[in-house]
Amino acid sequence: MQTNLLSRPTSAKSTSMSDKINHPQLCQWLESVATNRDKVAFTHLFHFFAPKILRIARGKFPNEAQANEVVQDTMSNVWRKAHLFNQDKGAATTWVYTVMRNVTFDMLRKIQGNKEDNLSDDIWPVAEKMSCEDEVFEDHLANENLLDVIEALPQAQQDVVKGFYFREMSQEQLAVHLNLPLGTVKSRLRLALGKLKVQLGEQHD
Amino acid sequence: MINHHPKFELIQAFVNGDLPASLSAGVAIHADMCPVCQQTIAQITEQVAEASFEEEYLDRFIVDDIEALDAVAVIDFDHMIDDIVESSDISVALPKVEKTISFNDKTYTIPTALSNMELGKHAHIGKLTRSRIQLNENEIHTSLLHIQPGGGVPEHTHKGFELTVLLEGSFHDESGEYVKGDFIMLDSSHQHHPISTNGCLCYTVANDALHFTQGINKLLNPIGSFIY
Repeated sequence: MQTNLLSRPTSAKSTSMSDKINHPQLCQWLESVATNRDKVAFTHLFHFFAPKILRIARGKFPNEAQANEVVQDTMSNVWRKAHLFNQDKGAATTWVYTVMRNVTFDMLRKIQGNKEDNLSDDIWPVAEKMSCEDEVFEDHLANENLLDVIEALPQAQQDVVKGFYFREMSQEQLAVHLNLPLGTVKSRLRLALGKLKVQLGEQHD
Repeated sequence: MINHHPKFELIQAFVNGDLPASLSAGVAIHADMCPVCQQTIAQITEQVAEASFEEEYLDRFIVDDIEALDAVAVIDFDHMIDDIVESSDISVALPKVEKTISFNDKTYTIPTALSNMELGKHAHIGKLTRSRIQLNENEIHTSLLHIQPGGGVPEHTHKGFELTVLLEGSFHDESGEYVKGDFIMLDSSHQHHPISTNGCLCYTVANDALHFTQGINKLLNPIGSFIY
């Protein structure tokens, strides 16, 4: 009883996740778009989000065409970036909100005559963790060295390695995205890792 | 340890996307170094997102419901869907490439939030070096300001606001010591005289020139517009 009381104010999930939105369903659609380019799932997502995005956009843009553009760009990014969504790191609504907010921010900057510089994804990364519950330790220096070595691999192997490690896609997801048989993805990854081991081993000697 | 954080209202405006790019980047840079604010931002984002996509919340905005529904019908959703799914492109998240900048032979990593911003040429006065960040936000000026060890900014007030986010090093003023990651927002009620004993690099945003207040420094007022 007491633990319940104590944990309530700090846990955003328990206080904000209402039953009004079917979160697991949204996640499933998004995953399905990511892994299978599932057009039916996307249509479901579109019908859930698009009218709401349109209403919110109307509050920010007096011009109807601009509000429509927010819907178009946001949903188009959902389609193209679904693989960057990670349900362990936040709700689907949070992720789509981030995509929408970023589109809106860049459009407002453009309209206000600042610049067409698309800064939003640097300020609010869409691909990164949405919550800091799991602290990720990033070794920038090691990452940089690693990248040099990876860039030296044949293109086909690079695609697999980058997808697997930097975008954290599964081998199955990669097979779909690269339009390759799963076995090919696996063997390319194995080949690439063999080379990387040799290269990095040499570097550290 | 980081002692100075953006206040709650500012974080809310950040999450809503209502702040100019200069201040948004300031909050993002701070949050990158501050797990506490990172957590707050994550929670507010989750709540705002949840609320944004709930029907009840949206209904509050709809005054003329019928008109709104008519307008919704103007967009051909089916056509838009077809248009979007026709493309098989996916956006690849490129591995981050770190950018660096040098001041007086010392090299610093540029925060991610600034990685696509255009930096102006370095300008020097004494131990201060400034590089203007070209954001085109009218009266709001954004810069990277480098102070060499022992350097400082003459005592001044601000006509508007002045935000300093400490990227590296430390400085102190009448109110105390500031360290890497501190988010220091001052307004015209503050008068201060920052000094950096060991040197520092700051991200600064100000919406008006500084106003120097003391003795001979009054003569320096023209350089107020140099620094910020």
